[in-house]
Amino acid sequence: MATHVLTPATTAYRSGLYEWLTTTDHKKIGIMYVINSFLFFLIGGFFALGVRAELAQPGLQIFKDEHVYNEFFSIHATVMIFLFIIPMLAGLGNYIVPLQIGAPDMAFPRINALSFWMLPMGGILLLAGFLASGGAAAAGWTSYPPLSEVGPTKSPGSGQDLWILSIILIGTSSILGSINFLVTIFKMRAPGMTLFRMPIMVWTMLVTSVLVLMATPVITSALVMLFIDRNLGGTFFDPFHGGNAVLYQNVFWFYSHPAVYVMVLPAMGIVSEVLPVFSRKPLFGYKAFIFATAGIGALGFSVWAHHMFTTGQVFLPFFSLMTFLIAVPTGVKMFNWCFTMFRGKLTLSTPMIFAIGFLTMFLIGGINGAFSAAVPVDFALHDTYWVVAHLHYVLFGGSVFGVFAGLYYWFPKMTGRLLNEGLGKLHFVLMIVGFNLTFFPMHILGLEGMPRRIADYASDAGWNDLNLAASIGGFIIGISILPFIWNVFISLRTGAIAGDDPWEGNTLEWATSSPPPPYNFDRLPEIRSERPVFDARHPHLRHKPGELADEMGPA
Amino acid sequence: MSSPPRRGLAPEAIVAGGVVVLLVALVAAVFVSGIGQNLYPPDAATSQAKDTRGLYDIVFALAIAIFLAVEGLIIWSIIRYRRKPGDDELPPQTHGNNLVEIIWTVIPTVIVLYLFAISYNTLNTVNAVSDAPDIRVHAVAMQFVWKFEYLDGSGNVMATQTVPYYATTSADCAQASMTNAGCGGMALPVGKKIQITLDSPDVIHAWYVPRFLFKRDVIPGQTNKFEFTIDPGDAGQAFRGQCAELCGTGHRTMLFTVLGLSSPDYDTWLKSLVEITNRTPPPVPSGAATLQLTAQNIQFDKTSLEAPANQPFVIDFKNMDPPGVMHNVQIRQSDGTTVIADQPTIDGGNEAQYQYQGLAPGTYEFICIVHPSIMHGTLTVP
Repeated sequence: MATHVLTPATTAYRSGLYEWLTTTDHKKIGIMYVINSFLFFLIGGFFALGVRAELAQPGLQIFKDEHVYNEFFSIHATVMIFLFIIPMLAGLGNYIVPLQIGAPDMAFPRINALSFWMLPMGGILLLAGFLASGGAAAAGWTSYPPLSEVGPTKSPGSGQDLWILSIILIGTSSILGSINFLVTIFKMRAPGMTLFRMPIMVWTMLVTSVLVLMATPVITSALVMLFIDRNLGGTFFDPFHGGNAVLYQNVFWFYSHPAVYVMVLPAMGIVSEVLPVFSRKPLFGYKAFIFATAGIGALGFSVWAHHMFTTGQVFLPFFSLMTFLIAVPTGVKMFNWCFTMFRGKLTLSTPMIFAIGFLTMFLIGGINGAFSAAVPVDFALHDTYWVVAHLHYVLFGGSVFGVFAGLYYWFPKMTGRLLNEGLGKLHFVLMIVGFNLTFFPMHILGLEGMPRRIADYASDAGWNDLNLAASIGGFIIGISILPFIWNVFISLRTGAIAGDDPWEGNTLEWATSSPPPPYNFDRLPEIRSERPVFDARHPHLRHKPGELADEMGPA
Repeated sequence: MSSPPRRGLAPEAIVAGGVVVLLVALVAAVFVSGIGQNLYPPDAATSQAKDTRGLYDIVFALAIAIFLAVEGLIIWSIIRYRRKPGDDELPPQTHGNNLVEIIWTVIPTVIVLYLFAISYNTLNTVNAVSDAPDIRVHAVAMQFVWKFEYLDGSGNVMATQTVPYYATTSADCAQASMTNAGCGGMALPVGKKIQITLDSPDVIHAWYVPRFLFKRDVIPGQTNKFEFTIDPGDAGQAFRGQCAELCGTGHRTMLFTVLGLSSPDYDTWLKSLVEITNRTPPPVPSGAATLQLTAQNIQFDKTSLEAPANQPFVIDFKNMDPPGVMHNVQIRQSDGTTVIADQPTIDGGNEAQYQYQGLAPGTYEFICIVHPSIMHGTLTVP
């Protein structure tokens, strides 16, 4: 146990900045994760707007050199996945998980700081590619060889090497973080916090950490092989010298498909915290939800090759079946969320509307994904804008809406002040309108055969209007971030004081002050269910026999 | 729990019901008006594509049903179950229900198993490859050219069509015509079983024709194979095709066209392609100026050339790159807009004597159309 953080007398800071740069407090590290990830969200968004600006009209207007366009979409995706969504959710988990299980800190506070500081380093490495000769990595965020190998028409520049090193560094950060989460969750729970009384957010972080721990070393191996091919004369992926080009894809997706669940499960956890609180009901089917989460985690390792149906190197029926099956636990969750709201008493505060945004948009991302599980349909849709629509309905409609639900929900806990509701709702409306205007038309473009990753399309192909609509939507998304930034800016100064528990929360983070003291808790309430703070608020409802399977009956 | 009967319930239920009806009506309107047609793939042009389309329709119908049911439930709950200001009473604290959990696990499982079964079934027809197709074409995708080799019964190359060479300017295509092989495209007879084999000498590409609802990756070191039969009703149609796997800076330019021709038209087309393929180049006129130009490592060995004014001249062009890397020499106005003279691409390890008409004095640009961004230079005519 890291007992040193329990000492309340750590007030003699040398300076605020020095304290933040050297902190091992999971809350400060969590906030730094969030701020760092948000900055990379803005950077990734800048690249996305560059792409949308180019596609607004036929012809090449912004990128005279198409290679720069390829750099933009490659770095957009890399930043959004590895430097925004994954660390943003890890950061929220870093802040919330110890609080929710009644622990004073993460199990390894110094490793926690190390895994954070690797992220800005990785990001700088990645973006340094723009200064390298030949520019940044431009072979897509997937960087399939042979295109990502060295060659005059492949990827001759060192930007591709910087990309490899950056992802390895960020992956190492993820592995360290996942070990930290697992040990924290298994060894540092407060008395009474059994596994089946843990908040769903903690459960999703637990399953996510298992996925990260098992999958990340695999992509690291792919990246090391690619690095050897590029720099040391290796031929792992060179089919004309004994290698195999598709081998990379198998190894890459063995990580990168589970990574989708790394990006979605914690967002599901956030939504599963927000919906019950603002519906004033417990999560419907708590245990079923946990089993579904574990089920997604397990099945998530058996679907990777559905990204490769068109390679002709995949045993199609197996991966088709597993991909269809993974829809089942996801569907179970969707029904549980709906029935959490059903017959509840809903308050549509900003965290709640973002959580509802998650439900409505992630539903579309789940449904349009099922099309690609049907292999012949995937032959038509693969590598078209349909897939771009699908992945954004999952990762933006799902993860990003979930992230904002979490930010609005926990901002009062982190800062002690409430965000402005009006600005929050303006943010939501602009974002959901812009999001659908951007990504819904991509379904139609994809069906009509518009392939991905191209700077300019024939002006007579009939795609001009929908591309323009998508570009307008993209800029509306960009604008929607402004009220959020303004909201944070003014609320930090003048926002209403939140108090310990502004939302009538269920879980332990609401049992301490806002923001919590460095050691987190003066005292903990009794933990007899997955809603200890609710139980303390409604003592007459406690110990209802049969409510939970592990209840021992009236005391 | 023992709340008094609520008189406000009925109007709320009407509002909620109204919204759900509105949602359904909106979706119905989208489809009736024809806008909904955009949510279906384009008309299937092959028998395999028709099977895929049938599968798509079933998946789509189920998707719409699930979408409406779940979104309806969400919207219903948002409208119907709102906390009133000052209402501090808790709603019933339902923790779950094992029966409904089992129901909504089993029903989706049955649905996805059904979808798997029908897609497996369709896959077996869409993916089937026979030993004796009617037509064989070997398609080679390379940065950034498609080469279509028409094979005879014993697998020998009868004729070769290279795209995009003929898609630009060609002496063989004085007047655009579907049945003239000199005008480019990949012609195929309708109603015949066509087998395509795919190879790449460099990076991964993908052969994709949207109206065939089909694509297949072109992978170096691995020959992929697939079959289709173009619908006889589509004779005379041109189908847009494009590389669908990011393959480098010229990825955008890897466009091609598939022409569906009736059998007699196809025979005419193939005959003219065989002629073009087997034609021996005309002898170099004696006394014509000859310029030397070599391509190696995707670079020209010269960045400037000089040719005499108003006299025919020859470029003696060597492609020293390995087989699979195609180059040519195209002459354009110096601003790059107008193509003045084009020549067929040649494969690595070959050489060609490109003949050009006399040019007016001025400055021109010469490029390799396969690698325009890295292989270009200035042609001066004093």
